[in-house]
Amino acid sequence: MRISYEWLGDFVDLDGVTPKDAADVLTRLGVEIESLTMVDLSQIVIGRIVEQTKHPKSRNDLWVHLVDLGGRLEQIIAGAPNAVPGSLVPVALPGTTVPNGKVVKDMNIAGFRASGMLCSAAELMLGDDHSGILILDRGTPGEPLTTVIPSQAIMEAEITSNRPDEMGHLGVARELAAGLGRPVKRDFMPSFTGTASPPGRELIKVTIEDPNLCSRYIGGVIKGVKVGPSPDWLQRRLRACGVRPLNNIVDITNYVLLEYAQPLHAFDLAKLNGAEIKVRRARENEKLLGLDGVTRDLTADMLVIADAQRAVALAGVIGGEESAVTSTTTDVLLESATFNGPNVRQTSRTIGLRTEASARFERALPPELALAGARRAASLIAELAGGAVHKDWADVYPRPQEPVRVNLRPALIDNVLGTHVPLEEAESILKRLNFHVKVMGDGEWDVLPPVFRLDVTIPEDLVEEVGRVYGYDRVPPTLPGRRHESWTPLAPSLDRRLDLTREVLAGAGYTETWNPALVSGRKLEDLRIAAHAMRVSNALSDDMDTLRTSLLPSLIDVAVLNRDRGRVDVRVYEIAEAYLARVGEKNTQPEEPLRLAAIATAGSTADDGRKAFYRLKAVLDECIAALSGPPCTYQRAAAQLFHPGRCAAVVMDGRQLGYIGEVHPSVSAAANLEGRIVAFEVDVEPMLAAARIPRSQPLPRFPGVERDLAVVVEDTVAAGAVLASIKELAGDLLEHVRAFDEYRGAQVSEAHKSIAFTLTFRSPERTLTDAEVDKVMSEIKLGLEKRHRARFRE
Amino acid sequence: MTDASSLTTEALAAIGRAPSEDDLARIDQEYLGRKNGQVSRLLSNIAQLLPAEKASLGKAANEAKRAIEAALAARRAELETARLADLAETEAIDITFPGPPPERGHIHVLTQVRRQIETVLESLGYQVELGPEVETEWYNFEALNIAEGHPARENWDSFYFSKELLLRAHTSPVQIRAMQRIKEPPIYIITPGRCYRRDPPEATRLPYFSQVEGLAVDKGLTVGDMKGTLLYMIQSLYGRDRKVRVRPSYFPFTEPSFEFDVSCGICGGIGCKSCRHKGWLEVGGCGMVHPQVLRSGGIDPTQWNGYAWGFGIERMAMLKHDVDDIRLFYESDLRFLEQF
Repeated sequence: MRISYEWLGDFVDLDGVTPKDAADVLTRLGVEIESLTMVDLSQIVIGRIVEQTKHPKSRNDLWVHLVDLGGRLEQIIAGAPNAVPGSLVPVALPGTTVPNGKVVKDMNIAGFRASGMLCSAAELMLGDDHSGILILDRGTPGEPLTTVIPSQAIMEAEITSNRPDEMGHLGVARELAAGLGRPVKRDFMPSFTGTASPPGRELIKVTIEDPNLCSRYIGGVIKGVKVGPSPDWLQRRLRACGVRPLNNIVDITNYVLLEYAQPLHAFDLAKLNGAEIKVRRARENEKLLGLDGVTRDLTADMLVIADAQRAVALAGVIGGEESAVTSTTTDVLLESATFNGPNVRQTSRTIGLRTEASARFERALPPELALAGARRAASLIAELAGGAVHKDWADVYPRPQEPVRVNLRPALIDNVLGTHVPLEEAESILKRLNFHVKVMGDGEWDVLPPVFRLDVTIPEDLVEEVGRVYGYDRVPPTLPGRRHESWTPLAPSLDRRLDLTREVLAGAGYTETWNPALVSGRKLEDLRIAAHAMRVSNALSDDMDTLRTSLLPSLIDVAVLNRDRGRVDVRVYEIAEAYLARVGEKNTQPEEPLRLAAIATAGSTADDGRKAFYRLKAVLDECIAALSGPPCTYQRAAAQLFHPGRCAAVVMDGRQLGYIGEVHPSVSAAANLEGRIVAFEVDVEPMLAAARIPRSQPLPRFPGVERDLAVVVEDTVAAGAVLASIKELAGDLLEHVRAFDEYRGAQVSEAHKSIAFTLTFRSPERTLTDAEVDKVMSEIKLGLEKRHRARFRE
Repeated sequence: MTDASSLTTEALAAIGRAPSEDDLARIDQEYLGRKNGQVSRLLSNIAQLLPAEKASLGKAANEAKRAIEAALAARRAELETARLADLAETEAIDITFPGPPPERGHIHVLTQVRRQIETVLESLGYQVELGPEVETEWYNFEALNIAEGHPARENWDSFYFSKELLLRAHTSPVQIRAMQRIKEPPIYIITPGRCYRRDPPEATRLPYFSQVEGLAVDKGLTVGDMKGTLLYMIQSLYGRDRKVRVRPSYFPFTEPSFEFDVSCGICGGIGCKSCRHKGWLEVGGCGMVHPQVLRSGGIDPTQWNGYAWGFGIERMAMLKHDVDDIRLFYESDLRFLEQF
């Protein structure tokens, strides 16, 4: 909300308080001032237009003005025609900088000298209007503009949703006054000025059909007004707050909204049918032409203000065009009501229109405020638009505001804040904030919050009131600590346990990524991994409407993005949840398995893919080894996204963790990725569950014997099977065996391959002799011949 | 035939002149070689000599051998000293030439920051608690004192799957779940994790982000304790010259409620361009846990009280590493990720 510093000065003495000071005090009290814009008008002078002629040569519409600046005349050219002779205008002379930053220079425009600039409201930052020159209603030529318009300071404030009372200058001024320790110069409830007969309630009949949606409706009648422009000062304040002036009646309703935070509406009484107001739900198929020129279809969820025949306003959101105040209006019905917050918000959302009024009603206004706002507006109308305010208004108030009392043990203040606030100071703070405090016999305080503070209901709310005015800066920081008799020993977090895995991956050249969990559901469908996908019902866009069921598509996108940006080799991983809906159970939370997924790009040949697969497999083995869990086995598998001949299920202790393989060529082609990609995705939690603390093994005391063995088998025989056979055949002396090479080609026969193993033999008791090892080797060979029809290469 | 002493003289002279290890090795072989060395050859005719002559010749040969050995060792040491003294010239390399870079992957900057935060708060006795991202309306809103129709709900515009299920807007549901599970305070926990809000992506906010919330429930906790905890955390992460300010604000789940700011690291709090002349940088929200929220967690608010706070990991990382666009964290451009 925009707050004018000058306007605050109406309610609290700001002597010696700069705008910056005020902003700081307010921010510390909880009215966060996000920005402060200073509008310095001291360099601008007042001029009177003596003569205005159209520029004869310029192709643009320009007017040449002769301006009286108090004893001297200057020629100034402007692009707007509204500064007619006799007008008083703000003038910026050459050398000055106008508030919007423009520097004024001596100019020559198509042969005519221009010594200065006539300023619009926008140029002076007095509003958003830049369509014409700002016309002043008073002032002396040659005098500084500040003799009629003080320099401005506009604060942009963020008002928290519990404080609708601060959505007006008076509410903000009350806070500022409490913070400064100065009195507020305005009572909450203005006096009533209506005297004209007959009583207002005889001129308009008000009924509320749904008291849940409207707890109070005041309809005041003012007759014989003269509609016209508002005085300059009022227009200026509206503009400063971003509201466009229209006419004095409408301007006054907006002015009081900005002052008291109570939205008001003025109807042309003559345009209401039947001298009657009904606050009711809209009828099916009812329509309303709003003040914004839009005709809307209403529904029964919406509350309307209606006359005897039709809806004339959408309650709390916008008025109707047909009953609006115009230049011919003489009699006004002033509405000041209290509408249900959630209902106004819902209506405002449904029609997609948020107004100054709806923004306030949404936050639940106190019904007492309606009367204050109505009285203030009536007296302003009488003062500025003439007219007679009728006595005894219609005031239908089916749900009177209940006074709230809060009992406070004052010790709670110190206990919660953690510092000592003297009782007198606490009491004085509450009183400055318009709370009534009565000290009871037992020392408890019986506190009555002001009627405009519906947010205060529990003792902790009062502690907050005291704390924020006392100043949280004065609360010394401490660390909590008392003698605890029970505790939970520290267990490393899941994420920290995964750091071992991250170290392995970093060492292997893989970079961690964090990718959005919301992805395109369409894409998951195209990849045929959407079976368990959860789709958001109110997505912001198609490309993030579904929770991902796999991390791999995100990582493929990462590869594409980095390739596009010039990176050849991409090796990345991610640790994050996948989200899998439980089939057949609506409204239950999905499974959220934590996954580890990695991908690496490779060259485009089949052999490139094969080698990359083995490299990646070794990386996965190492990740698992780092956790000291049992090793994984790999079983040939077929899985979505993977190459049918190059995919394995990753199995640990009989449980499948996920898959590793080359990404299916059609998937990488669809992603426009050249070359091959290898990837794995595994569940992390079973891996962590199987993790063990590594136990030390005694170092070997006797030397080991290494032997290489090249086994030639048919292509279809798996290296893993041969490896298992070797282990089984070798007996206890075999310490370790590893396959290190696979060969096909001239040296072996057609449809065969040669797999090279290194075997390490060792005895814990003695140095092995060649003869012993030779014996075992020949047993292995014999066994492999039988089992796998193996031959051996030297 | 030369005698032992002239042989020694000749050998020592050769050793003294020898310019290299190789020459010494050759001299060694020439004089002391087992079969054909000159010293051995002195003894070649010894069998024909008289016993007294044998003894004398043997002694002379032994002396010659020792003298030559000693000279060789001395000269070798001399040459080695000289060689080491010359290393700076003989083996100099161009140390400005860059080495081949090791293949190093990078740990995501948000992981690094999350790790630092966890470490700092664990040092104060807080435990990490995790919970589901797809939450129920009750845990995400009701339990936190944000009933349907509450005006503050607009601050947590959420993604829904159904009327009941949504993507959590904060990690506060984990606080409720933790209280329900632990039951008996003291409770000191932090709840890192991903959250979601329906905000279109821009430089300062994303519809998905990561939070760390903290919760302390114990006897007699105060606003001062909350301030101290935040100050300890901020100073541990950013340096001990940083200050923390709490500003009154409003959240339905805390009372009193605050936003907390950190003094600007660039201007030290005076006001500069990077803090938009405020001197302070907004970090997160905090407050004393609302009694209603304790009740939701099954904790008796007449016996216990608490404080809680929350902030975005991305925001902390942006402040720490001068990142000006939050989208960089999730775009996965390696040129960005490899900077950390």
